[in-house]
Amino acid sequence: MSDETILLGAVAYDAKVVTIWEGIRDHFNQNGAPMDFVLFSNYERQVELLLKGHIDVAWNTPLAHVRVQQQTDNRSISLGTRDSDQDFHSRVVVRNDSGIESIKDLEGKTLAVGSRDSTQARILPLHFLRAEGVELTKVNLLKFDTDVGKHGDTGTSEIDVLEAVADGRAQAGTVGDLIWVNEQSAGHVDANLIRSLWTTPPFDHCMFDVLPDLDAGKIERFKKALFGMTWDVPEHRRLLELEGLKVWMPPREDGYNSLRDALASPTP
Amino acid sequence: MQNENAALAIDGGDLALGAGLLALIRPALDLLEPGGVLAVNSVNQALRDDLPRWCQLQHHEYRERQKTDQDYDRHLIARGSLSVPLGERESGITLPQHEGHISAEDVLNSIPMPEHADPTSGFAPRGARVEPGGPRYPFSLLDREHVAPPEVAKLYDQAIAAQWNANTDIPWDKTPKLPDAIERALGQVFTFLAENELSALYLPSKFISRIHPSYVETAMFLSTQMADEARHIDVFLKRARAGGGGLGVSSATTSQSLLSLLELEDFTEAAFLLSVLGEGTFLDLLTFIEDHAPDEVTAEVVRRARNDEARHVHFGLVHVRHALVHDESLYSRLEAAVRRRAATLSNVGGAPEPLQDGLTVLAAGSTTAKAIGRGHDAFRELLHTMHESRVKRLEHAGFTVEQAQTLSDLHTPNFM
Ligand SMILES: [Fe+2]
Ligand SMILES: [Fe+2]
Repeated sequence: MSDETILLGAVAYDAKVVTIWEGIRDHFNQNGAPMDFVLFSNYERQVELLLKGHIDVAWNTPLAHVRVQQQTDNRSISLGTRDSDQDFHSRVVVRNDSGIESIKDLEGKTLAVGSRDSTQARILPLHFLRAEGVELTKVNLLKFDTDVGKHGDTGTSEIDVLEAVADGRAQAGTVGDLIWVNEQSAGHVDANLIRSLWTTPPFDHCMFDVLPDLDAGKIERFKKALFGMTWDVPEHRRLLELEGLKVWMPPREDGYNSLRDALASPTP
Repeated sequence: MQNENAALAIDGGDLALGAGLLALIRPALDLLEPGGVLAVNSVNQALRDDLPRWCQLQHHEYRERQKTDQDYDRHLIARGSLSVPLGERESGITLPQHEGHISAEDVLNSIPMPEHADPTSGFAPRGARVEPGGPRYPFSLLDREHVAPPEVAKLYDQAIAAQWNANTDIPWDKTPKLPDAIERALGQVFTFLAENELSALYLPSKFISRIHPSYVETAMFLSTQMADEARHIDVFLKRARAGGGGLGVSSATTSQSLLSLLELEDFTEAAFLLSVLGEGTFLDLLTFIEDHAPDEVTAEVVRRARNDEARHVHFGLVHVRHALVHDESLYSRLEAAVRRRAATLSNVGGAPEPLQDGLTVLAAGSTTAKAIGRGHDAFRELLHTMHESRVKRLEHAGFTVEQAQTLSDLHTPNFM
């Protein structure tokens, strides 16, 4: 293996991750960007080995992205993100029979929340609720800490939240709007039972991160191959669909400010 | 901004995104060109956040939310350009009826086949608009002139109308008690027929999965042909056993000959060898059996099978003739295919011996020496008739007399 080869890290949150990265690897290899990948079982290990220089690129959740930036004094370089990662929101969904008419009414009620390392299902919705004046100590949190280490990628805890609200274990819940819209669009949400009450401000999601001293040629080749994937090419489209995007986008950083703030003063 | 024009508006009432509203939005957007604007009127406030996110995920452009004089929101969505299906929307096509019937021929006339077909349209029916980005299918028969003669839909209509039932349409209760020798001869002849029918069932099945669905009428016709062959297998084996004769011998000659058919990889070559030459020759064989049938059950069985075979031969002929008109080089390819096959069968002398004997006894009607002599003459006459009709059929397909003579001589002694 020559040192031309870009070594990418990703977290194996689902069996399809192998299919995705084998496909993307083949595409990169056929397009002048020799690439291979390693799969991690959690983002903490992936970030650690990126920082040690054992991998060149990490496909990171927002939480992992912000941690990489913090531990490199903001010198890490962001390479790209998915269209679907931009302007993410979280939702507070409520049972129609809960009597909750505003987020302040959550006090005294049970709020189902996702995994403690899920940006969209736990960290940011609680951060934004607190910022809006909701006293979280007065809210009974029903916590679904499933798949910790995967940073909410599996969506399992969000499905748990929706189920808990649907079957009445909780009067309200927090989920990402990607799951919320997709579950509605797939016909999985009973609109007679549940509605969306409140939407958080926007934030951004996953990002490709590299260390500042990574070979510039590797960075160039990576970007060229990545942005060369298009929806109308069947082989690309299959991978894009699996990875949940239609277009790869250039990076932007403002979308992570709220998460930086939230990490500076943690919520329950 | 209040009056930005929308090409189309829908009334969403109080429906939430996940409560069925998308069943109004998606078909409405589908009516628009990329960039065309849809107005969604709604009193559901959750849409204020849900619709923009849904648009983002689907790559439509969420333009804006307008307040109206009444108490509802007016959401403006411009159709995005990803995943826009290719092709013209079918409209204004009303299928003609004749006496309340709609035939496949009428459908074909209304929705003609393209000259070439695109393997990435998959199983999309002809006329459907196809969302781009689908995978490439392993269809290899992609040219109309090599796949679909113009008569195909008409032949399909005929085939459907001519289906019969091997269980109930044969007067099985009239099966007589025949002398053992005749019964055994029948058993042998029907064993041979059923074995050949099996090859005629399997060979077309190989090609159906290679035909692009734009030419589905050809696949549909072949499926009727396969149903016919299945029925022939069924009915021939029933006749072999109905009177106690039982099955006879499957000879190596037949086996060798049918393998060389099954191994064909070119659709037109297969149609030529199976239908024009093989099934064509079988027409004379079935006539011979009907003429010498010892009972009305046997006669009815082969008569009905022959009607079906005539259709298979007809399709083979129009297929080959149509392809020949559009591809000059096909003559030599077909001739080469016949020669190749003849070479693999060069160690084979005449018709399979058990079959020769079965046909001779059948034509003799008894096993006296005198009768057998007559039966043998009849069998030799059959070989002659088969050759003559083959030559005629080949000329009909477009070959010269000389070519037809040569090809007929090279045809397998197994008849199929
Ligand atoms: Fe047949
Ligand atoms: Fe046939």
